[in-house]
Amino acid sequence: MMLLELDHIYKWVTTGGRRTFLLNDLSLKVEEGDFISIMGPSGSGKSTLLNVIGMLDGFQEGEYKFLDETIHNMKEKHRSKLYKEYIGFVFQQYHLIDELTVYENIETPLLYKSVKSNERKALVGDMLDRFNIVGKKDLFPNQLSGGQQQLVGIARALISKPKLILADEPTGNLNSKQSDEIMQLFKQLNEEDGVTIIQATHSESNAAYASKIINLLDGSIAKS
Amino acid sequence: MLRNYIKIAWRNLLKHKGYSAINILGLALGMAVTLMIGLWVADELNYNAYFKNKNQIAQVYQNIAYNGKIDTDNAVPRPLEFVLREEYKDKFKNISITSWEGERIMKVDGNTLLMRGYSVQPEFGNITDLKFISGQSEALNDSNSLLLSQNAATTLFGDQDPIGKTIMVDNQHKMMVAGIFKDIPKGNDFADLDYLMPWSLYSNRSWIKNAEDQWGNDSFQLFVELADGVTMSEVSNLIANIKRDRDPEQVKYNPELFLWPMNRWHLYTSFENGRQSGGPIENVWLFSIIGVFVLSLACINFMNLSTARSEKRAMEVGIRKAIGSTKNQLVKQFLIESFVIVILAFVIALGLVLLFLNAFNELSDKVIDFPWSNLYFWGVALLFISITTLLSGSYPALYLSSFKPVKVIKGTFKTGKMAALPRKILVITQFSVSIALIIGTLVVMSQIDFSKNRPIGYETSGLIQIPLRGAEFWGKTDVMRNAFIASGAVTQMASSSSPITDVWSTRSGIGWAGKPQSFQADFNYSMVSYEYVETLGLQMIAGRGFSRAYPSDSSAVLINQSAVRYMNMQNPVGKILTTGKKGEDYTEFKIIGVVKDVIAQSPYRPVKQAIYTFDKYQSASYWDLRLNPKQSMQKNLEIIEEVYKNHFPDAPFSYDFVDQEYAKKFAQEERIASLAKVFTLLAMLISCLGLFGLASFVAEQRTKEIGVRKVLGASVANLWLLLSKDFVSLVVIALLVASPVAFYLMQQWLQSYAYRTTISVWIFIAAAVGALSLTLLTVSFQAIKAAIANPVKSLRTE
Repeated sequence: MMLLELDHIYKWVTTGGRRTFLLNDLSLKVEEGDFISIMGPSGSGKSTLLNVIGMLDGFQEGEYKFLDETIHNMKEKHRSKLYKEYIGFVFQQYHLIDELTVYENIETPLLYKSVKSNERKALVGDMLDRFNIVGKKDLFPNQLSGGQQQLVGIARALISKPKLILADEPTGNLNSKQSDEIMQLFKQLNEEDGVTIIQATHSESNAAYASKIINLLDGSIAKS
Repeated sequence: MLRNYIKIAWRNLLKHKGYSAINILGLALGMAVTLMIGLWVADELNYNAYFKNKNQIAQVYQNIAYNGKIDTDNAVPRPLEFVLREEYKDKFKNISITSWEGERIMKVDGNTLLMRGYSVQPEFGNITDLKFISGQSEALNDSNSLLLSQNAATTLFGDQDPIGKTIMVDNQHKMMVAGIFKDIPKGNDFADLDYLMPWSLYSNRSWIKNAEDQWGNDSFQLFVELADGVTMSEVSNLIANIKRDRDPEQVKYNPELFLWPMNRWHLYTSFENGRQSGGPIENVWLFSIIGVFVLSLACINFMNLSTARSEKRAMEVGIRKAIGSTKNQLVKQFLIESFVIVILAFVIALGLVLLFLNAFNELSDKVIDFPWSNLYFWGVALLFISITTLLSGSYPALYLSSFKPVKVIKGTFKTGKMAALPRKILVITQFSVSIALIIGTLVVMSQIDFSKNRPIGYETSGLIQIPLRGAEFWGKTDVMRNAFIASGAVTQMASSSSPITDVWSTRSGIGWAGKPQSFQADFNYSMVSYEYVETLGLQMIAGRGFSRAYPSDSSAVLINQSAVRYMNMQNPVGKILTTGKKGEDYTEFKIIGVVKDVIAQSPYRPVKQAIYTFDKYQSASYWDLRLNPKQSMQKNLEIIEEVYKNHFPDAPFSYDFVDQEYAKKFAQEERIASLAKVFTLLAMLISCLGLFGLASFVAEQRTKEIGVRKVLGASVANLWLLLSKDFVSLVVIALLVASPVAFYLMQQWLQSYAYRTTISVWIFIAAAVGALSLTLLTVSFQAIKAAIANPVKSLRTE
């Protein structure tokens, strides 16, 4: 089943009267259950593409359908509802909230979805169990190693049971062992839970975990 | 969700202790000031709350025109009471004519005390809603009974039951205590009421009997309580023309009677040309505005510090948005954070108010209790907290929640130059308000100084006045003068029918040669003894004072300079003043001297025309004594008391220092000045607190730049200048904004004083120097700290 479809997307910024294209006539179809790696040199538009897919960023031309709904002319409120429901983010710098504990960081998306307290407790408890970080639930992010922080970041992305996980260089700040563990986790999530994953990465070995690799160059797909 | 918000707010507070302290402290100070002012304003507005029926209680006032200028006064003629009782009785529930408030000597078993009160009709007790512990106000129907307040009864009789006991009043009347009423609490009219005496006794005096058909003799007060359903304006319209209708003689003064409701007695006291023209209500407004200003200053601090720290919070906003928060939820979160801070500040503010309430009461001459049990207060407090939260939290909330998550998360987010603009405008606003307050306070102080330095016309220091109550002192002035001077404590003595620092009587119907036909003359009037000029040290412009060497002086008169101008008289000495009409109390007075103007009334108004006649019967109200400067004050006073007690063993001895009495004329203005001083100081403190926070933020933000500059050879002084000049320029702009506004407003304020200072340019210079040096002091601490830091450290962290 089709999860999302980008059709001839253009995105540019104008500097000094000249357009610099960030995404240039980019089309992409993602099926539910895909595991896609996006590769490409710095500045090729990997992050921009993820942000567009994740609805954090807009574009100037083209069409974007998510679950058969047209996104680009949708009202902000509707879009945010869609995205809360179906999309989870994992960042290179983890982006945990420093003032919240591990438990609270994972819980926060549920708060925004107005999930009831009991249910929240159960969901977060499951997640802590699953990632084997029950013992760390009351620690603050700065008390964790990078790998552990990224685990929390992924747990947070997964807590609202998204159909799609967008990961922007999720292992960029990790050593290779931690990196492998995260990639194993992604693979497992993809295969066992059927979560669609799109990750941007520089690393060939990480990219290899995916079922499909897209190479980006100057905002366009080079070959697939 | 809520718990989560509160939790994160709390953790943020703890993480940034410095900012939190500045924020909370500044806000707490602002709230404390506003709370105090709020309590004060509520107290003022609730004046006379004791009287449940205060909306139906009134005093009869009248407007009278003299030479086209309308005076408003609460003195009314005796027959007015009869007319109201007979012809308009259905309009009133109660009516009472009364004397003026007076002190009486009350003696019980050799124990003599001074008591304050009125002679009234029995209905007065109903009008003032007296709560009787025993007896009732009808007891005043008996001309030998009196009523006492609980406090007065305890003072006079201790634990004994006072009912039925007798009191010797003024060594003249044997009165029986027929009732005790509960004290009227402070914060109400009649709060210092000790006694009520029967009108029937008071009105036995011949001059009052004579006044029964004199419509021109305005010597009494008339209080009324309206019947249910009757309105003030209705009755005012009915009674307006009574005086002119009953007595054709009054028509030329165009007298207009009206009711002045009790709920306006306290706050609306000034009348100008027959119209109500403010009074203490202006201070209520003034301080309300100051309260709002001070609170806004604190809120501005809050906004500025919150938005200044926005870069630190931006990341959190970005993440929250990325994981599903809507803008509304973020706005809510930041408002709740503000709410937490405001609540904390409110608790501290309550503490500050409790701590300083006594000092504040002293400063403002009030007895405000903290309204712990008043639900209304807590309701208002909640509203106050909410408003403060919205005021201080909404701008940061909207600002912070509007960040674009992509930029923040990518790390390309930087607050641009424009982001600092609202902050700068807020700082300018803040300092404009503070500087305007400084200028205002300085103008008030200089106006007080100016009026204090005005020549008074006599020597106030070393002068005392002894109030004389009752007939036993009459005819004794010369005897006592000799006794006092012989004792060595006094160098000169005279007597007067008004205190030196006030005028109790005015006199109309004075005539002189060349007076225009239609001119209605009106003078301040006092009866004085021989040596009055010498005792006070009055300066003679022409002629001489009353002298024992001239027996004809008993029908002589002294006038002041203003009177000379008023009558437009050339060479006044030797000319004749007349009173009464030919054949009817006609008297001639020869002018023997002109004295320099003496300020007896308001030091802010021009001195009124005054005449001084000779007190033939030695029936003065005051003895004025010039103390012997070669002896200590203490010793003089001891001797004077001894001499006094030798002659009047039963009369209580009391005296006033004339210089202190004169100083009381400034009490009202000085109270305002000292309140204004405190509030201005706090406003400035709050503004500087905010500036301190901002300066530390800027220094922190520019640490790297400072490091680089330092490596390139910048001196500490260069860096100090670099960091300080931005703030200084903001304050300079604030000065330019505040000065003309303050000038205009204070110019308006000064208009209400006939005798007023000009606003000196030095006030603005002082405000400028003060504000700038405070700014520099505040900012420099952070600037120098940043400038002397080791650059290696700041550069290595990159």
